[in-house]
Amino acid sequence: MNPAPPGTREPAPATLAHWWGRLRDIQVSGTATVAMLVVVIAVNVALQPNFFDQYALTSNFATFVPLVAIAVGQTIVVLSGGIDLSLGAQVTLASVVTVQLTDGELGNLPLALTAGLGVGVACGLFNGLVVVVARLQPIVATFATSFVFSGLALVVLPRPGGTMPSEFTSGYRDSVLGVPVALLAILAIAAGWLLLRRHRVTRHIYAVGGNAEAAFASLVPVARTRITAYVIAGMFASVSAFAILANTGAGDPFIGNELTLTSVAAVVIGGTALRGGRGGAIGSILGAIILALVSNIVFFADVPSTYRQLANGLVVILALALAGIPALQKRRSA
Amino acid sequence: MALLEMNGVRKRFGGVLALDDASLSAAGGEVHALLGPNGSGKSTLNKTLTGVVVPDRASITIDGSPVAIHGPRDAHAHGVAAVYQQLSVVDDLTVTQNVVLGLEPTRRLGLLDRRAARTVAAEVLTRFSPAFAGSVPYDAAVGALSPGEQQIVEICKALARRPRILVLDEATASLHKEQVHVLFEVVRELRDSGVLVVFTSHRMDEVFALCDQATVLRNGRTVGTIALADATEDQLVHMMVGDVERREEARRSHASDRTVLQVRGLTTQRLRDVSFSVAQGEVLGLGGLQGQGQSDLLLAMFGAAKIHAGEVLYDGVPLPLTSPVKAARAGVALVPGDRGRQGMFAVRPIQENLSIASMHRRATARLALSQRAERRAARGIVERLNIVIGGLADRISTLSGGNQQKVVIGKWLLNEPRVVLLDDPTKGIDITAKEEVYAIIRELADSGAAVVFNSSDNRELLEMSDRVLVLFEGGVVDELTDAQVTEEDLVASALRLEAGETL
Ligand SMILES: Nc1ncnc2c1ncn2[C@@H]1O[C@H](COP(=O)(O)OP(=O)(O)O)[C@@H](O)[C@H]1O
Ligand SMILES: [Mg+2]
Repeated sequence: MNPAPPGTREPAPATLAHWWGRLRDIQVSGTATVAMLVVVIAVNVALQPNFFDQYALTSNFATFVPLVAIAVGQTIVVLSGGIDLSLGAQVTLASVVTVQLTDGELGNLPLALTAGLGVGVACGLFNGLVVVVARLQPIVATFATSFVFSGLALVVLPRPGGTMPSEFTSGYRDSVLGVPVALLAILAIAAGWLLLRRHRVTRHIYAVGGNAEAAFASLVPVARTRITAYVIAGMFASVSAFAILANTGAGDPFIGNELTLTSVAAVVIGGTALRGGRGGAIGSILGAIILALVSNIVFFADVPSTYRQLANGLVVILALALAGIPALQKRRSA
Repeated sequence: MALLEMNGVRKRFGGVLALDDASLSAAGGEVHALLGPNGSGKSTLNKTLTGVVVPDRASITIDGSPVAIHGPRDAHAHGVAAVYQQLSVVDDLTVTQNVVLGLEPTRRLGLLDRRAARTVAAEVLTRFSPAFAGSVPYDAAVGALSPGEQQIVEICKALARRPRILVLDEATASLHKEQVHVLFEVVRELRDSGVLVVFTSHRMDEVFALCDQATVLRNGRTVGTIALADATEDQLVHMMVGDVERREEARRSHASDRTVLQVRGLTTQRLRDVSFSVAQGEVLGLGGLQGQGQSDLLLAMFGAAKIHAGEVLYDGVPLPLTSPVKAARAGVALVPGDRGRQGMFAVRPIQENLSIASMHRRATARLALSQRAERRAARGIVERLNIVIGGLADRISTLSGGNQQKVVIGKWLLNEPRVVLLDDPTKGIDITAKEEVYAIIRELADSGAAVVFNSSDNRELLEMSDRVLVLFEGGVVDELTDAQVTEEDLVASALRLEAGETL
């Protein structure tokens, strides 16, 4: 490349839109993600010397799964050029429906899980239609639908309660040939993503997120692809709900709410640009684990419980800032 | 019988009536030019056919039966594929992924069949492999490719759809000559097999070389269709621009005998020992196959390339070519060909774009710029160059290509340059704007500037230049002076290696 003539570097206008544009363009490199993972694991090990014991590992992985699942769902929507701020509410709704239908009976479980999955699909479809047909901004539309889903959850289960069969919860904490079931669940989610990535629909999701007009002109069914992305995300929200139920054993009509923003953070930390079309879910899985380990650190560092959420939030912002700096620098020098 | 008939096509975008009763009738086995000035509705008509734009009103028949095209998939079902002026490639996807986009071969359950995709891509891309220096980057992201390479991916995507009707909208604008030749070969083969190719280009030589018929649009209306075998360029231009007077060839230079600019042994990474001189008021053309160092020479003379050896003298004094800023202060101006990338700040106001190169002249004590002085200077240029704008505060991206280019040139006129370097300045702008750019170039030369002018359009190169240097692989291989310059000479000289000679 030849150097450009003078004065061609665009002076940066310091507007809000500009900074949002910058934020959307941040793409964390794989190295940065892995480096963060190494750091948080090291800090965890320092604070929690038995970190690698079977018991600690099992319970750690058990808490990772819900976040990992929802992060993968969020990744798919973000890749398609959207964002889903209702995923946490979907997790809540799917979990309360599942716990109510199970009603503590193992025999009810197949039906209840199917219904829980159906809830995710229905929520995703609803989101997709609102975004595509009503042409609302995804960030606004899904923020609005999140209230619908949370409201429905409160109708289904007004206050914490209900129980899952003990086989379900103990199975989740079990291990197969020494490998924790929760870790297997994470590997299964990763495998699911790798399979999905080889599917035509995912290729179209990337294309639509990368350049919707070009995709449309190239015969990609843009509207259907967008809707499908929300539906797949809804299914991952259901999986997240199942993992929460397996972990806690009971229903809670507020359980999923704080997952939403964490899922977005996991996506960004994992190297998927919010502007869409670029990135992948493996990074988000690592991002989710990083964030879960960060809450571990906050917990084990004896932060008073009133400050725990604040500390968590600050750490997430710090991680995003640190992760974003190299990306910003790369843009500036490009 | 006509393979394609489009009639009464009408499309309004907000306040702009892009198409108003446009029509197009063309047969299979023909290359049909769709011509008209910028903004006359060519792209919109093409997009109506491909389903990307839904017209307010239109009747389209293919093979004699009326068809309804509500989207790209309908158009595809009728065998229509297109190369869009605004490329329809996705930057983040690979070359192969782009070529099969929307029609990905799949195995069971919709899983992608990568091998089949690669086969499809290879089938169309191998023809163009010389354009990728021999090896097609199947797995490279398209965004990482050069504009010309991206254009080829776009072309291959359309070819992979095996169309009966192929639309090429400005498909050659960023291609090198060799690539254009390959494309023309492919188009002729398609034509011979009965395909209808609708071809839009601003380059008249291409139109005459390739097309059988031409339909001309003006202000969204079809003016007429003529067979190119019996048409002259003047006729076409007249159809396009109407009864507006076309500026007649006003060349025959005012070059003085005084040599002002001397280039001696200029060598950079891409230039080999280039020497020449330019007289005051002279227009020196740079010809040859594209990409033989013409742009590199201009960049080097503008201080934008590292000079390994040699120097450039003005009036015997070496020009400071260590940076473009220094070159600009010494009175050198470069009008780049790739407007969007190098020449302007698309989202900044026109006034700022105009004044940016010459700010140091008007800077009050180098501290603050006087808004009023800037506005006065900008307004003067807008009037002088006949730039059609809404207001000086509008973003430059709101202008048509021709007017954008005039802004880019205008910003250097404000600097009163002694040496003007033009790198394919009329690329992709319409014929009216081209004429105006030519007039500006002449005016610059007449006012005493030494002008060096690179062009990918041989005719304009000959029309504009007093002399033409032919470049090959970074060196000057020939010089054609006024008397002998004909298009054949130029082509022969540019292709001299193929004629069996060695360097
Ligand atoms: N999407 C659009 N929105 C608004 N105006 C448009 C759009 N597309 C084209 N136009 C306007 O329609 C007119 C015709 O444009 P176009 O078809 O691109 O012309 P051409 O290809 O002949 O240069 C121009 O005035 C252009 O500004
Ligand atoms: Mg056009």
